[in-house]
Amino acid sequence: MEPTAGDLTDPLINHADGQLFLHEAFKIIVEEVLCKGTDVKEKVCEWREPEELARLLDLELREKGEPQENLLQRVRDVAKYSIKTSHPRFFNQQFAGVDYHSLAGRFLSEALNTNLFTYEVAPVFVLMEAEVLRGLRALVGWTEGDGLFCPGGSTSNMYAMNLARYRLYPEVKSQGLWSLPQLTVFTSPESHYSVKKGAAFMGFGMDNVILVKGAVPFLVSCTSGTTVQGAFDPLDRIANVCDKHKLWLHVDAAWGGSVLFSKKHSHLMKGVHRANSVAWNPHKMLVAGLQCSVLLLKDTTDLLKKCHCANATYLFQQDKFYDVNLDIGDKTVQCSRKVDCLKLWLMWKAVGSAGLEQRVDKAFLHARYVVDQMKKRDGFQLLRDVSSHLNQPEFVNVCFWFIPPSLRGKEKNPDYQNRLAKVAPVIKERMMKQGTMMVGYQPLGDRVNFFRITILSPLVSHKDMDFFLDEIERLGNDL
Amino acid sequence: MNLYVINFKGQTTVGELMNPEKGSPGAVEDMEAAESFIQQAMEIILQEAVKKATNVKEKVCEWRSPEQLKELLDLELKDTGESESKILQCCRDAIRYSVKTGHPRFFNQLFAGLEPHSMVASFIIEAIKTSQYTYEMAPVFTLIEDALLKTMMKLIGWEEGGDGLFNPGGSMSNMYAVNLARYRYCPDFKEIGMYASPRLVMLTSQEGHYSIAKAAALLGFGTKNVYVGAVPFFVNATAGTTVLGAFDPIDEIADICEKHNLWLHVDACWGGGALVSKKHKHLLKGIQRVNSVAWNLHKMLMATLQCSAFLVRDKSCLLQRCHCAGASYLFQQDKFYDVSYDTGDKSVQCSRKPDAFKFWLVWKAVGTRELEYRVDRALALARYLAQEIKKREGFSLVIEPEFANVCFWYIPPSLRNLPESPELWKKLHTVAPVVKERMMKSGSMMIGYQKHVDKPNFFRMVVISPQVSRQDLDFVLDEIHSLGKDL
Repeated sequence: MEPTAGDLTDPLINHADGQLFLHEAFKIIVEEVLCKGTDVKEKVCEWREPEELARLLDLELREKGEPQENLLQRVRDVAKYSIKTSHPRFFNQQFAGVDYHSLAGRFLSEALNTNLFTYEVAPVFVLMEAEVLRGLRALVGWTEGDGLFCPGGSTSNMYAMNLARYRLYPEVKSQGLWSLPQLTVFTSPESHYSVKKGAAFMGFGMDNVILVKGAVPFLVSCTSGTTVQGAFDPLDRIANVCDKHKLWLHVDAAWGGSVLFSKKHSHLMKGVHRANSVAWNPHKMLVAGLQCSVLLLKDTTDLLKKCHCANATYLFQQDKFYDVNLDIGDKTVQCSRKVDCLKLWLMWKAVGSAGLEQRVDKAFLHARYVVDQMKKRDGFQLLRDVSSHLNQPEFVNVCFWFIPPSLRGKEKNPDYQNRLAKVAPVIKERMMKQGTMMVGYQPLGDRVNFFRITILSPLVSHKDMDFFLDEIERLGNDL
Repeated sequence: MNLYVINFKGQTTVGELMNPEKGSPGAVEDMEAAESFIQQAMEIILQEAVKKATNVKEKVCEWRSPEQLKELLDLELKDTGESESKILQCCRDAIRYSVKTGHPRFFNQLFAGLEPHSMVASFIIEAIKTSQYTYEMAPVFTLIEDALLKTMMKLIGWEEGGDGLFNPGGSMSNMYAVNLARYRYCPDFKEIGMYASPRLVMLTSQEGHYSIAKAAALLGFGTKNVYVGAVPFFVNATAGTTVLGAFDPIDEIADICEKHNLWLHVDACWGGGALVSKKHKHLLKGIQRVNSVAWNLHKMLMATLQCSAFLVRDKSCLLQRCHCAGASYLFQQDKFYDVSYDTGDKSVQCSRKPDAFKFWLVWKAVGTRELEYRVDRALALARYLAQEIKKREGFSLVIEPEFANVCFWYIPPSLRNLPESPELWKKLHTVAPVVKERMMKSGSMMIGYQKHVDKPNFFRMVVISPQVSRQDLDFVLDEIHSLGKDL
């Protein structure tokens, strides 16, 4: 197997073959994923049990490679058995739909395959990321500040906690938690679980999220757009408390942040400019494509860099021939960092803030429509909590139970809750096995399994909403 | 090169979808326009970011100062959108001024080259656009990740298997190792935090990656508690250090760790690739004895960024227990399929990209033997380069390469035959930055330099890509001399 001198003289990879493979594979991607994947006549998912799917995919990695036709078939198989998250009837998560400009941005980011740690290897994207962050900060109401793109909102939230800790006790970076008093984080029960995961990961301990007597609160993490119900914490009021006690105010707007594009709905985040940090995931409501998560900071003292830097000399040489402040890599906890700004930048360029605003507003309209329709039908019962006195959801999450005919009017029965809890899982199983749509369900507190539909895709119309309600009925009427 | 033509069949379907109200601009209101746009964008990508970008006759980089570049790119985000032709021009400009990391003369980092199978996998992942937290959301990718991790564990030598997942980067993998070791040491820390505990310390070598220090800071240990200390609970060994490409003696370290019951983690982000080579895997001898391994497939094995595996030799669901938060909106226990396929709660993330696929497709496409051949070839080229350096006047190796890193000084004629002294080192220190500036401004190649401990700036050549050949390495030495001989 020892390479001969001749082997070292010629390049090994044949680029013509590789480019042909790219060409052919792209055709399949377009046909199977983009075309069929957004076609309402096609299935949302092609369900298979894990063991069967493993067989179908022929997962084993072997000594020898395969010819191109095999590989292209694999591309088809991967497409076939993957979930069509851009399908008009995919409502399962807080992302959906497809924007073709951001998709082009994503393909381009992958093709250019670089890292964002230094200006020298990513000149275009260092500048672009800064501009996108500036634009997002402006929507928050900040004319200056800092920030970066993170691999997910969980990481953004973790950064906020780390920065708040560092600001209060800068010595923690070198000395650790040993010398500090017990620190606590305040957050609401509906906040995202990444606050807890972050607390465990960073040494605070999950128990110290919420409230402990005698401890030192250092951060309040509030949520703009809770995961399940889409509720918005009252930021102005919380900011009053934080200002008074000098607590770091972090706003987890991973889900709800995009309302800031909408003149009509940005009031939901009134007061956000008073926060210290904001986490916002454009890959959710703005359809930028996974992953696209930002952390925005009001700070202008280079806190991000001071908190995280390790000054590695093999990357951040101080004697470079360009302004080394452009090497932003030491602001992050990562080393390699993907280019996630292009997908948002290209889309924003293409449709403008006005275009993004329209999307946000449309999502609200769809949610209102669904709720209105539900009220007209028997068997759909909304969770009331986040509705206003008009029984409208605050955001675009619509949470409801489907009560099959057999259970209607039987609320007083002792086994009602138990039986109701079993309805959603069965309907979910049926919809997935038939591939007609996907919507999530979960319990919450003492409320048994209910559905949560989140409407955000620009591909969706009223017909899909009608279909959704019809389908729930069709799948669940016999339960 | 002319592309194919595909008709999006969705035309009428979209017409049905779009009801009385107008759809939002930029959304898929007009499928033909969307199709045309994507095809044109892809054509640009294939021509400019793939074909041209890997052509040795083209530049590696088109250097512009930040101020110039800002002007050229027109980055401003406005209220109104731009025309399709403008957007396509934005794509062209982004490519033009980006560094061509797939170019045969890009040697600047621990990744390089262009692996077309991995790129296809990346495009698929972007088009499918899903998150790997649950089986229901990512059935194919969940199974693929599992299969790939198992195969990697076999290469490591864990006969009974283990656990693991893919992370956004090797730094994250290293952080997971620290976190798991801490959790194993005292599971209560997860709930109550570390306040009441004795000071715990982490041991690593001087050449270990800085992510260990970042992990210490982020996880609450403090950077001072990496090295010397009170109660050691974690040892980090490096298989392939960042600058010199050195390998810690894992067997010897494992002896000590086993004796003292310390968690041994191997940061094999860079050097893990040697495991596919029968000839070179001895560099990681003993790796089957360790507790956890970080291995970045986006480095030597050329998967697209990011493709970082974290592997742990554990069958007690430690990863899950350590990180889980049991969110009921994702990890319902009453699902209709086996919920042990939902991997999301093993991770510190929520959404997680299906990165394993980027390498699985490569492995399927080329097979283990080809992967082995690529690694052997890269290392043979590194040895060739070292030989050439020894033969040439004005070039001096820092150390004999153990792996794919070849570190050397270029000594311009004016500094040759001078006695070694601090003044000489000071002058030598200024050579590499200037040569680097000149190579970037001409766009002929990219190589990294750095100082290291007390040594003045030296170049670090990293040989990875199967597209690189001896001529490219000869060129590197010729070009350095050409750029630096007047210094």
